[in-house]
Amino acid sequence: MNRLAISLSIALVVGAGSAEAGAGGAKETGEEELQFLTRTRQLSYEGLRAGEGYYSPDGTKMVFQSERDPKNPFYQIFELDLTTGETRQVSPGQGKTTCAFIRPGSGDIVFASTHHDPKSEQYQKEELEFRASGKERRYSWDYDPEMELYVENHETGELTRLTHAKGYDAEASYSPDGEWIVFSSNHHAYASDLSEHLKKKLEIDPSYFLDLYRVRADGTDLERLTVVPGYDGGPFFSFDGKHIVWRRFDEEGLTAEVWLANADGSEARAVTSFGAMSWAPYVHPSGDYIIFTSNKLGFANFELFIVDVEGTKEPVRVTYTDGFDGLPVPTPDGNGMTWTTNRRGSSQLFTAKWNHANALKALNEAPARQELPKKESSSK
Amino acid sequence: MIQRTGTSPALRVLPATVVAVALVSLIPGTVPASVEQITTDVETLAADQMEGRLTGEKGAEAAVAYIESQLEKMGAVPMPGEKEFRQAFEFTAGSKDVGTKLYFRAGGEDGVLEDRTDVQALSFSDSRAVDGDVVFAGYGLKLPQDSEFPYDSYAGLDVEGKIVVVLRYFPGEVDRDTRALLARYSGLRYKALLAREAGAAALLIVTGPNSPNAGEVIPMQFDTALSGSGIVAASLNLDSAEMLLKKAGVEESLKDLQTKMDTGNPHVTGFPLEGVAARLDVKVERERRTGLNVLGYLPATDGGVNDGIITLGAHYDHLGHGSGGNSLAGADEKGQVHNGADDNASGVSAVLEVGRALAKAERRRPVLMGFWGGEELGLLGSTDFVAGMEDLSPGVGAYLNFDMVGRLREDKLTIQAVGSSDRWASLIEQANVVHGFDVYPQQDPYLPTDSQAFYLEGVPTLNFFTGSHEDYHRPSDDVEKVNMEGIDQISRMATLMVRKLMKDESLPTYQQVERGKEEGGGRDSMRAFTGTIPDYTAEVEGLLLSGVVGGGPAEEAGLQGGDVIVEFGGQAITNIYDYTYALDAVKVNEPVQVILVREGERMELTLTPRAR
Repeated sequence: MNRLAISLSIALVVGAGSAEAGAGGAKETGEEELQFLTRTRQLSYEGLRAGEGYYSPDGTKMVFQSERDPKNPFYQIFELDLTTGETRQVSPGQGKTTCAFIRPGSGDIVFASTHHDPKSEQYQKEELEFRASGKERRYSWDYDPEMELYVENHETGELTRLTHAKGYDAEASYSPDGEWIVFSSNHHAYASDLSEHLKKKLEIDPSYFLDLYRVRADGTDLERLTVVPGYDGGPFFSFDGKHIVWRRFDEEGLTAEVWLANADGSEARAVTSFGAMSWAPYVHPSGDYIIFTSNKLGFANFELFIVDVEGTKEPVRVTYTDGFDGLPVPTPDGNGMTWTTNRRGSSQLFTAKWNHANALKALNEAPARQELPKKESSSK
Repeated sequence: MIQRTGTSPALRVLPATVVAVALVSLIPGTVPASVEQITTDVETLAADQMEGRLTGEKGAEAAVAYIESQLEKMGAVPMPGEKEFRQAFEFTAGSKDVGTKLYFRAGGEDGVLEDRTDVQALSFSDSRAVDGDVVFAGYGLKLPQDSEFPYDSYAGLDVEGKIVVVLRYFPGEVDRDTRALLARYSGLRYKALLAREAGAAALLIVTGPNSPNAGEVIPMQFDTALSGSGIVAASLNLDSAEMLLKKAGVEESLKDLQTKMDTGNPHVTGFPLEGVAARLDVKVERERRTGLNVLGYLPATDGGVNDGIITLGAHYDHLGHGSGGNSLAGADEKGQVHNGADDNASGVSAVLEVGRALAKAERRRPVLMGFWGGEELGLLGSTDFVAGMEDLSPGVGAYLNFDMVGRLREDKLTIQAVGSSDRWASLIEQANVVHGFDVYPQQDPYLPTDSQAFYLEGVPTLNFFTGSHEDYHRPSDDVEKVNMEGIDQISRMATLMVRKLMKDESLPTYQQVERGKEEGGGRDSMRAFTGTIPDYTAEVEGLLLSGVVGGGPAEEAGLQGGDVIVEFGGQAITNIYDYTYALDAVKVNEPVQVILVREGERMELTLTPRAR
């Protein structure tokens, strides 16, 4: 759930509230949803919640995060073999983890983790005690500066730490050729001599400083791709490797738009001007459109939308089911969709058949975008 | 599946879109061998020659013979220490009154009631005679001390060794919540238990003039109890009860007495019938019969562990010609063979198919296939089996039940009792990633099917179910409507689950689940009949109807399948238990407001429940 990683003021909605409701309420699905998504079914059942499922290029494996260990209340990373149903825990089991991705070509897995932090067990204990007290907290994400990128070697199972500087390094994904990783980081803020005002800002809202970086898969050639105030995060390459897509919050952290840039960060432009919290974009394998989630229709009502890659049209609504729908990821063949939803109780991974032809048709019929795309001048 | 009492299911009517979708893409024109085998199983078991497989009848025995032949063929063996697959159990197929008499003496006059319209045994009565003075004890109700409504008909009454006369049902002129509460403790058997515990020698129940079926003796209900309930119990008609009151010099009529008590005023109490002594001589004959379970065993292969048996099961019995009282046949179908193709030839076939696959495989743990008789009569076969389970070594480590798995639609598969072990959610996830059903997991292990017998004995259980339909418990539950490919897919998924269970380091752990509200003594208390058919597969806010009984109150009110009842008689409905509770609270022939959601629109209708 963390590629959303939102500042506290907007952190409500997503997981908690209804996620804890349990097996109570299957939600009504609108007929309109069936033109895009059919044979919808739940993929994950175990644990309090699960989400952020990302496929290997051949579609036989998926990495995801889930709260499954009664001794650790934070997400751990799992790899699911879609041919056998076997699940394997990838992360060491201690501390917090988030946002895994499978490296094309090698099967290595990148994810962010705090397990090296000596305090991580203490945090687990505190969170468990808090939950045992019967209190509930809204879903929130603390941008732990101990969050660092790790890569699990597919052959040896060994973990290699990729980032070392203090600061939140997470939300990583590989390029289709497996050579590059894009991710979100604010380590520059911890390293630089900030004014008193910004120092305070870093304490209160570290996400404000997050920008996109890219680095080679072996950890060399680190390069900053964005330098704009406000949270840039959740970057993914397009399937042809030419673009990256991500979400950019405004300076206040209140709204976010979907952005697209070349793989090196150049020519960054907003694809949406939706004026809502629009995030978790992913380019469809056809390269024709981007699927993302937005609360355009109501503060607590996240639905999936699609928009053409250049953002010439208004986004088209995809899901019509009460509750949270987010973090959409197309299957590599483009004919399926997996996303995270609490439509049947707790937040879990769901999967469905995706109607690409209807998606193209709906985009074709969509009205032109209300505002012209903004060009970003300050990048690169 | 046995009928879920209390919710008046009468499962009927589904949209005609019963689309069978096979999960594997089948090559056109070819049918996998397993689907052919399943088709043979279901066709054989649901054939008219099996006469609806009523437990104790020869149709059921023919079904047993077929199952045995299939076990033989796959290479299964009888349970260790047994010579045969079949295991007999005894049960009561019915009871009848063979000469109950009530003798009375008052004011030097003797009399006797012996006509069946005057006095008749209750089906669970002991068969013997008792003498005693007669005491009127109101409604004969006693609520638990911690309940919200303190009520005790026996408070201050001396009934030790006496014959107690009580009214059937419960005070009717009370508020809704109190009605619902009282209804739970007003069943006939519960009243007998209360009378026995109060020290009474015998119980006479009379249906009061203000109640449904006013004044009539209570028909002898189908009851599978092997023996009496420890008390002599009969029902009395209104005139006979009035006559006894008069003999005791009571000036008020029974109607007056009932009316006074109907407000639920706990201070209106019973009293002794002064000067009246009686002898109640109940003669009940119970017809004992023998039912059969079939048990096929596949021992662990070399190098296996023997810490527990992975058990699969399905009941093979059904309703015969539907004369047992649990048939939902329409007037034009009465007496026809109830073939029970879905209920539960489908489940038998699924278990056989899993067995066929596992018989050829390496088995790290032993596997048992249980085919139960007497399920429709009240989980008789499985209950008999679990009673002897502790003598098994190793014991039963997990139990997967298959009851009505023949109507797979749009890949929707309900898996119930998931709350019985923390292993189930992960096992379902793993197996279903491969099989791709639209699985609806339900937590509640207290189910109207054999898995409950195992759960109550501490075994983690699951039940596979493809949903209710309009042919439930009717002669139209036929082979043509069964999705054979669906059974095949379900048995493949179950096979994978058993393989994983056999591979697991340890057996699944048992989890205690709190029992829902459905309990109580009110099973046969005054239940209103509404003719709604709940959809058990859906977990929606409210009660989703899969249909309504033709000609029933719900249909007359304008309800239809797909409606979601959100309020019933002023009570908010969020689930099936709320609905059961609400049903307890409504009165027969008294209209209730029903608020429902139909295609997103809120509507209000008026429904008038009838007596069952």
